[in-house]
Amino acid sequence: MALVLDKLVKRFGSGATAVTALDGVSFSVQPGEVFGFLGANGAGKTTTMRIILDIIRADSGTVSWNGTPSAEAPRRTWGYLPEERGLYPRMEVLEQLVFFGDLYHVGRPEAERRALEWLERFGVPDYAHRRAEELSKGNQQKIQFIAAVLHEPQVLLMDEPFSGLDPVNASILKEAFLEMKRRGATIVFSTHQMDQVEELCESVVLIDRGRVVLGGSIRDVKRSTGRQVVRIAVDGDSSMPWLAAVPGVRVVRPGQDYTELDVDQGTDPETVLRAALDHAGVRVTRFEIADPSLEEIFIEKVGRRPTEEAHLADAATTTPAAAAS
Amino acid sequence: MLFRLLYQWFKRRRAGRDAAGGAGSGSGSGAASGSGTAAGLGAASGSGTAAGSGAASGSAAAGRPGDQPISLERGARAMSLELQNVRAVARREYLARARTRSFRITTVVLVVVAIGVALAPIGIRLIDQGSGPSRIEVSLGSSASKLDIVAQLQAILNSQATSNPLGGGAPTYAVSATTDETGARAAVASGALTGLLIVGRGPATSTGAEGDLAFTFVTKAKGVDRISQLMQVAATGMAQADRLARSGLTPAQQAGLVAPVGYATQLPDGTTDTSSSPEDYVNSFAVGFVLAIILFMAIILYGQWVAYSVAEEKSSRVMEVILGAASPLELLAGKVVGVGGLALTQYAIIFVPALLIVLLQDQIASLVLGEPAAAASLPAGLSIELLVVWGILFLLGFALYATLYAGAAALVSRTEDINAIVAPMTMVSVAGYLVAVYSSTGLISPDAPFVHVMALIPFFSPYLVLSLLGQHAISGIEVVAAIVLLAVFVPIALWVAARLYAAGVLMYGQRPGLKLLSRVLRGG
Repeated sequence: MALVLDKLVKRFGSGATAVTALDGVSFSVQPGEVFGFLGANGAGKTTTMRIILDIIRADSGTVSWNGTPSAEAPRRTWGYLPEERGLYPRMEVLEQLVFFGDLYHVGRPEAERRALEWLERFGVPDYAHRRAEELSKGNQQKIQFIAAVLHEPQVLLMDEPFSGLDPVNASILKEAFLEMKRRGATIVFSTHQMDQVEELCESVVLIDRGRVVLGGSIRDVKRSTGRQVVRIAVDGDSSMPWLAAVPGVRVVRPGQDYTELDVDQGTDPETVLRAALDHAGVRVTRFEIADPSLEEIFIEKVGRRPTEEAHLADAATTTPAAAAS
Repeated sequence: MLFRLLYQWFKRRRAGRDAAGGAGSGSGSGAASGSGTAAGLGAASGSGTAAGSGAASGSAAAGRPGDQPISLERGARAMSLELQNVRAVARREYLARARTRSFRITTVVLVVVAIGVALAPIGIRLIDQGSGPSRIEVSLGSSASKLDIVAQLQAILNSQATSNPLGGGAPTYAVSATTDETGARAAVASGALTGLLIVGRGPATSTGAEGDLAFTFVTKAKGVDRISQLMQVAATGMAQADRLARSGLTPAQQAGLVAPVGYATQLPDGTTDTSSSPEDYVNSFAVGFVLAIILFMAIILYGQWVAYSVAEEKSSRVMEVILGAASPLELLAGKVVGVGGLALTQYAIIFVPALLIVLLQDQIASLVLGEPAAAASLPAGLSIELLVVWGILFLLGFALYATLYAGAAALVSRTEDINAIVAPMTMVSVAGYLVAVYSSTGLISPDAPFVHVMALIPFFSPYLVLSLLGQHAISGIEVVAAIVLLAVFVPIALWVAARLYAAGVLMYGQRPGLKLLSRVLRGG
């Protein structure tokens, strides 16, 4: 009883120009969970979502929801917020929401009631009779979200729902997100903003160039690296030059507030604390041992590998981790 | 091949402008269209993300769906058809178009024009009635004819006038005698008199002591004006009657001389062709002609609407949202039904009032002009049968072209490219229309075999059947066969268009060509 993807393969084009978008992608999402679908741009996230929705068809492999092939599940099982936002620019907001509801077989009066309720929840009831093109990007995003959830789908697929949103709108959308979870929806969302994943998701899968690189619950994923992270802050010289002498430790993120260190497997994080205390004139104000952040894991799994894809190489060289290593 | 050549030509023509405008369009919102937008949006969202986490740099554009070749295959639902979704799409399409200001303005303007044209004959009669008869004076001088020239002239001028095609209310003329030639000339100059006819005698001829009647018409009317031509006819008639009178024939004998001659035509089988009086002929070709024009305009105009609607959904990226909810076939059918319904509505709004006015012309005329009314009837040449066939051809012909327009439009990324991609079909449409018009007007014989073959071919038949039927140049069997073939072809077109649509809707920035077309249709 879950959303199960089994060995999805998808190639685009043919001959010399063929691109393998998915190369045996398998993972499963438990009902009622918030699932983070991670990967760099071009990793195959959008393609996977389109295949789940049966907008395009995989070359091989299957997708099933509660044991039924996804193509045979009723359309209103799914709610979809695509990466490319799309609304009818010259149509009134309420009218287009009712239209989408109509397509999903929600009765028109019921669709209107739900749409108004959602607009109220988002604090924008006066947008009902505005045309979509008059709204800001963040507000269009809210409307797009309502369009995706109006029919109360069992599975909500969201392709980068938070991209381009200011913090206020992002938190409003996050709240709506959790509301859908409370109503029992299974939520799959793709993003490359790792802080949101840590905040919202129970499980994740990371794909890179069409392959699953790692997956599981957040905790398991974090532990899988075997590394630990130390965050330390001291009075005085925040550059902490003495750290260079500690073996098996690398500075990942130097900062004014605190410095983040990567501690190799087999090295006791406490050696850092000991070194600090041994060093004359240093007063430790903060010391914390933690699992590595998803962002670091992401970079480790995706960014640092030798790669033929220029944009990934660029991404790696411009991040602090890569610069530090 | 035509398909591709045209498209490439169009591309080349645009290339310069694109290069200049490309950078600017990158920062646009989702409403900006085309492949430029795919990269633009990518860059915008990518840089926003980079600021937050550093995980992605600004070079996010690469690897976007817009840059990838998109699958030509479709999920299993591509061809599913739920009527509820078709209705929802049709309803949206209908209302969204009907509410635009341009639609309302166009409709109102066309209604006014159509009613104006329908009322024109009555209006002309009303104006003529208000102005009274044109006055013409005759100066008999020394002509001394046995004829009553004043009475004769009045009779001839007005008998000609009543055969005016606009009906019984055409200009009438009041003729009176005068002896004051100078005063009458002044009245003509001032416009109070339409004309002054001076009647005299020419020099003696070999046939008698008295010469022929000679006429001088003093008027400001031009030679091509109706009164000038009428007057010349009248003068000739009177001069000839005067000759006969001078040679001693009595009025009864004269009447016998010009009495109608027995003359009839017969078809080879001995029957009489009742359909081909010159007047009927003009009416029938005119009606078929007009109906073909209306159909042609509907297909070109509303077909373009369907095409634009598809391309707009693509460029605003709303397509992907809808595809989660409805199949391409449902979208396609909904669009054609919605726009077709709106087309019929607009036609009804424009033509029903005008048609009612034409039908009730005599009643309206009697109200306005106080003349006795005849029973309402269809204009000559327009039969119920022709209208029914027109209705069927309108629906099927529109469905055929509009679905293919929609399928083709799904292959382009920008509304500007629509004209290039639908050009081949528009040409086919124009070809059928031109042959129909030429065969109506006699430039091509309506009996030519190739015309009848074309009348069976679905893309041409809507136009040709109408024009041939108007001329009674097509048999009932041919009409039925053409309609059946057309009806069979519509689902085929729908299938082809749905394939194109399914493949095209998520395809941005690819050049549609024949190779692509064949891949799409083979499903590979």
